[in-house]
Amino acid sequence: MPGARRLTPLRGALVLLVALVAQIAIVADLRVVGAVGDLMLVVTVAAALTGGPDRGATYGFFAGLIFDMVLDSPFGLSALTYAVVGYAVGLVCVVLFRPTGWWPLAAAAVAALVATVFYTGIGHLIGTPYPWGDVPAITVAVAVWNAALVLPAMAVMRWVHGPAEPDRFEVVLR
Amino acid sequence: MAISPPTGSRTRFAVLVLASVTLLTIGLRDAPVVREVREGASVVIGPIEGAVDTVTSPVRNAWHGMTDYEDLQRANEDLRVQLAEADAQGVRTSDAERQLAELSASLDLPWAGNVETTTARVVSGPRSNFSHAIEIDKGKDDGIAVGMPVVTGAGLVGRVSQATGGNSTVELLTDPDFRVGVRLSTTGDLGTAHGRGRGDPLSVDSAISPTAKVPKGTGVVTSGVDRSAYPPGIPVGTVASSRQGSGGLALDLDIDPVVDVDQLSYVTVMLWTDEG
Repeated sequence: MPGARRLTPLRGALVLLVALVAQIAIVADLRVVGAVGDLMLVVTVAAALTGGPDRGATYGFFAGLIFDMVLDSPFGLSALTYAVVGYAVGLVCVVLFRPTGWWPLAAAAVAALVATVFYTGIGHLIGTPYPWGDVPAITVAVAVWNAALVLPAMAVMRWVHGPAEPDRFEVVLR
Repeated sequence: MAISPPTGSRTRFAVLVLASVTLLTIGLRDAPVVREVREGASVVIGPIEGAVDTVTSPVRNAWHGMTDYEDLQRANEDLRVQLAEADAQGVRTSDAERQLAELSASLDLPWAGNVETTTARVVSGPRSNFSHAIEIDKGKDDGIAVGMPVVTGAGLVGRVSQATGGNSTVELLTDPDFRVGVRLSTTGDLGTAHGRGRGDPLSVDSAISPTAKVPKGTGVVTSGVDRSAYPPGIPVGTVASSRQGSGGLALDLDIDPVVDVDQLSYVTVMLWTDEG
């Protein structure tokens, strides 16, 4: 349906904005083992699991971009991290497995580790030495939130984009 | 055959990475456009965040009731002990403070106790795991400007890093990018303290001889040396440990901040900049 397709970018933007507000007004105040969840990463992972590497990278970039606007950390670092994680999750999802059963939860948890290590590492490279000692607690908290929310987030992504369509990469593989 | 993504997919990914790196480069150069974008976002998102914050506060309070109860009990016991000690200390220091204020006024020197202030409510804590900033409900309309020190009754909290009309962002002293000139309250030795992340002590690079003994618990205050971003005499923390710095030429100190930045409800902004 062409009409529904035209609404897709608007729906996607709405999802990102709602996730941003929920992140800063609610989730940021709910600490688990001293760290908070990351709804922008959840949205990125869900986009990658339902749409492949293209969609994962695109959502990751824009999720990170709007998150960077309200943070005090280096501008563009979240956009870079989420774009890379979104692409990687989408790629692994297409190559190794179908996003069903327990796989999405495992992928979301591993994405938490990759995103945290990547963000901390790039932070060190650009002169913002985030402590490596914080990485385990942050990974645990983000992994728990990711695993808990990735399935509902995937349902939201299906609402945004309609029934799953094969990613360009999937088409090639087939 | 090696599996690789199609060219179109790789191109889009490369463009997004390139765009991110470009933004990162622009941001690191502290370009005015980034500051303006962030201020604009703060103006738009602030009221929405405030409304959602109000509506969801019962849920968050319930969460804190479940997760923080034991910590609160322990903190309550510690605070009772500290309050008794502070009462005694207050009596001892009030006379010294009065003399310092009189002396500073007579010499026309800045002193933390003389600076005009405004009190603000903390509307949100750090928004991500890598953020070391809080939002307060006062801004330029209340005379707040970027760079002003932010304190509580206990000591230094951080500095204003962004100010819009009605709210401001405060960079906490735990931020790895945070720097403040400090002085030991006992010997007057100078150093530079910098943050090391949430829950970790601050690190002080000092010029103190590596053979010197700095007792645990020694007070550390802002130095206020010429062109300092902070007036002198604001308590920063107490010495937790000392060790030889790299090269063995001086002591490095770890200091526990006197302010618990995770438990802030109200803060005081000192309407003071290094221009005076």
